[in-house]
Amino acid sequence: MGEYALLYILFAPFAGALALIFISNRQPLLVRSVAASAAFVSLLASLYLFYAYDPVKGGFQFVQKYEWSKQLGISLHLGVDGIGTPLVLASSILLFAGIFVSWHIKDRAKEFYIWLLILAAATIGVFMSLDLFFLYFFYEMSVIPMYLLLGMWGSHTKKYLEMNDSEGLKLRDSVGFILNFGSNSKEYAAMKLVLFLSTFAVAALMGILLIYKFSGLNTFDILVLREQANLMNIPVLGTTLDKIIWVLVFFGFASIAPLWPLHSWSPVGHAAAPAATSMLHAGVLMKLGHFSIIRVAFEILPETTREMMPIAAVLCMFSIVYGGFVAFYAKDTKYVIGYSSSSHMGYVFLGMAALNYISLSGAVIYMFAHAMATGMLFAMAGWVYDQTHTRDIPSLGGLSNKMPFISVCFVIGCMASIGMPGTVNFIAEIMIIVGSWDKYPLQVIVAMLGIVLTLAYLFKMMRGLFYGPMNQKYSHAHDAISAVDRLPLLIMISISIGFGIFPMHLYDVVRSGVDPLVARITRVVPVAQTYEGSGVRSEVIIPGTTSTVPVVASKLLPLPSQVSRGEGE
Amino acid sequence: MTFSLNLAFSDLLLLLPEIFLTCWLCVVLIVDFSFPRVPQERLAYLSVAGLVVTLGCLAWLDMNHVSGTLFGNMFVLDRMAIFFKIVILGATILVILASIEYVNRFTLFRGEYYCLVVMSALGMMFMVSANDLLSVFVSLEFATLGFYVLVSYLRDDLASNEGGLKFFILGVLAAGLLAYGISLVYGETGKLVFSDMASAQPTPGLIIGFLLIFAALGFKVGAVPFHSWIPDTYHGAPTPVTTFLSIAPKAAAFAILLRIFLVALGTFKPLWVVLLVAVSILSMTYANIVAIAQRNIKRLLAYSGIAQVGNVLIGLAAGTKMGNDAILFYLLAYLFANIGAFAVVIAVSQAIGTDEIEDYRGLSRRSPFLAFAMLLFLLSLAGVPPLAGFIGKLYIFVAAIKEGLYTLIVVGLINIVISMYYYLIVVKQMYINEPIDPSPIAISGPMKTVIYVGLAGTLVIGIYPQPFTDWVVSATLMFANFVGPSVTIIPPGASLGG
Repeated sequence: MGEYALLYILFAPFAGALALIFISNRQPLLVRSVAASAAFVSLLASLYLFYAYDPVKGGFQFVQKYEWSKQLGISLHLGVDGIGTPLVLASSILLFAGIFVSWHIKDRAKEFYIWLLILAAATIGVFMSLDLFFLYFFYEMSVIPMYLLLGMWGSHTKKYLEMNDSEGLKLRDSVGFILNFGSNSKEYAAMKLVLFLSTFAVAALMGILLIYKFSGLNTFDILVLREQANLMNIPVLGTTLDKIIWVLVFFGFASIAPLWPLHSWSPVGHAAAPAATSMLHAGVLMKLGHFSIIRVAFEILPETTREMMPIAAVLCMFSIVYGGFVAFYAKDTKYVIGYSSSSHMGYVFLGMAALNYISLSGAVIYMFAHAMATGMLFAMAGWVYDQTHTRDIPSLGGLSNKMPFISVCFVIGCMASIGMPGTVNFIAEIMIIVGSWDKYPLQVIVAMLGIVLTLAYLFKMMRGLFYGPMNQKYSHAHDAISAVDRLPLLIMISISIGFGIFPMHLYDVVRSGVDPLVARITRVVPVAQTYEGSGVRSEVIIPGTTSTVPVVASKLLPLPSQVSRGEGE
Repeated sequence: MTFSLNLAFSDLLLLLPEIFLTCWLCVVLIVDFSFPRVPQERLAYLSVAGLVVTLGCLAWLDMNHVSGTLFGNMFVLDRMAIFFKIVILGATILVILASIEYVNRFTLFRGEYYCLVVMSALGMMFMVSANDLLSVFVSLEFATLGFYVLVSYLRDDLASNEGGLKFFILGVLAAGLLAYGISLVYGETGKLVFSDMASAQPTPGLIIGFLLIFAALGFKVGAVPFHSWIPDTYHGAPTPVTTFLSIAPKAAAFAILLRIFLVALGTFKPLWVVLLVAVSILSMTYANIVAIAQRNIKRLLAYSGIAQVGNVLIGLAAGTKMGNDAILFYLLAYLFANIGAFAVVIAVSQAIGTDEIEDYRGLSRRSPFLAFAMLLFLLSLAGVPPLAGFIGKLYIFVAAIKEGLYTLIVVGLINIVISMYYYLIVVKQMYINEPIDPSPIAISGPMKTVIYVGLAGTLVIGIYPQPFTDWVVSATLMFANFVGPSVTIIPPGASLGG
């Protein structure tokens, strides 16, 4: 496979979906095995990709380029750097796990797997796109499968507006309430998700079109645009064009992340979605936002990013605190995990905002770590829901008697989510906190508070679900016994702990992607160090003089933008 | 190959497709008269055979780059005309195939139905070749004549008669406006052929004349201030006729609009850009908002069609060669998605007898194929990747942003989101709601063919558009002379990406 690894990862799920169209729903085993094998091919190829990616060489590797439309200047340009590689891996792990988590789906299983595969393939496509058009193409393509997955296999979110605190007072999610119109149906959740994401996606598209026009290069290729597009200092509407583009792109993609004021679609969507969809949704779909911001705003508008990123630093505090408090008071398991995800995504924004080698690497590793942790939690929330048909935490309890395996996994999942040492989340959190301290001490203190909050609400949920007196109504619930049910959890746990104990390769890979990017933005050459004191430092060179990308290296031109660029901080 | 103005026998080569189709039309008519017992399916296949031969003939003309003008520049055959003729004939073939089952609903004159459809197609073939105002008028009325009858073909159905009457009255009004506009333009310039008008001065009479012509063509395409006949007519007409009406006349009228705006009025661009921007914004916004309230799928698709016209007008407002390419491409994408969507509507209404969106409940359980096809067609209309409609919209936006039409693009993008809402309402009925009557729906063979063609077109254009973009780019090459270069200045040494 070698150089074509990206094509295998991307097209195996599509091929699986295509094959499933021709298989009858009357052969459930065949349907599942086709879906699972498509995901398995993708998983194998992305494991290969992850370990074959050369962090010493850095830059974009496994590049594939096919002309797609001459007139519009679009090519199917795929490639991964140190930021995309772990996220591709996370997506294919979660897809593979998600297929096993939804192994027992009876109703229209074929269609379910088709849409799940398309959803995962589209997200994988975003993580490897080096062309603005295809980035948007796959981004928007991932939205519609969400609608059908939520609408057809989701469940209603009854308890949404009725969150009581400990004294029995009614609480409401204010932003969610304003935009909720009082509906708790899954149709509502699905429609809200699609319209919300599409609205912001078209804002991002507008930004992309503006980049296309004002670069004047007739191309959507990110690698060409980042070297040659000169978008600075064009006055528009009392400000400059680059700021307008940056705001469009940042908020357009931040909606899926979800950054605080734009988050309200997300918990409703999580709660309504079936388990496997929630896993993909929280695990990788939300990372599309951060990733696309890094890929578009950071790469093409580095100076503007340095100027504007404090916006994210302010908003991420609200994300962390707000999400944490709502999660603390929510009574629906999926709400707790959903809000915890949107709170945890605030850390990623903090890591991105600090624009520092350590913190940005931390943010990328956090995305990977969070995918595993939240994937586990959603898988188990789905299991508990399948067994008890409720997600109402107060009515549950004592389930550890019935499902010891699940409760052990749940404890591990909570530990990972909190960031216990030994899990990869710990490494990520500590990097974000250490890296951001110099620049944003207030935010770091808030993030610490967020960790305490995470501890509080996850322990509260854990106690509510698995310990304490058991409701006899649920005495028929049983544990995950078969290998098929245990496999996804074991995969995610082993990845989470495995990388927690041996993070070196992950760290090297991420650093090799982050370093040139931060160097572009701040133009300060760091001395990169891995835990072993060896690694990527030789590859960090002042951008503009050379490129880590062989594809465009021969066509580099010195541009005024590089002359006008400020000399660091 | 070019041709002299004196009509030589070889000049008739340019007219060959039309001549052949006229003869074939007579054959179909004679067969219908002489053998009244021939089942109508046979007549349908007979008409399709003739249309396919005509299509082949056009493809041959296109491949050999045959072009030229006839009758003192009244009739032009260039690659754009051939493109539009192929689109129109393709639509006609698909509509006839989709009609076969439906025609049994007509109590009388089943055979003549096909003759009328082919006759309208013939008229539209002349429309796209019209190169002066007189032939525009004649061919436009010729094409519409058939539709007046077709729309009210369900003789005993009140809605059909109402739709026919509305269409007729407003159509005749449009014809009057067109004639008046032509007379004003002729009076001001003394010219009828488009390319001769390029040097005209913008006198008030000329401007009013062109505004009247634009209004008349606006009726044909259904742009917003002139759209009032569309919902009722689309609703009342037999569904195959609605299908035909929603594609072919729009495409033909856009061919005329392209020639008028870019050839005749190329020098007045700053004037008409404002007009087109206004009409486009109105069409998209009004139609998309009103479509949300529709309960009938045919009305929903009628409003969606108005909104699509607004999108096409963005490309026209760009007024560049790239804008034209985008229009042609968009119409191609729209052809497949729209015919497909209407074919599903016909198939469903054959089975359950209504066109209410409510009655699409649980379609995915009753017929997974129909529901999936409808899903893809609606998403293509909404502009969701990887379907043809997305590429079409993007092509138009790219063409427009190169001309700096930011407002228009912002409105267009917002409208994508609005339209997504009402398309998803249909998707919700089909996929999420459970059916009341879970009996499966049977689909006839020809109908399946139409839907498969629609699906293939929607997916292939969306996933691999390069051959189609190449086609539209070469089809509008003759506009490169009339349209100025794009304002985008490409920095030296940056000739990347073509």
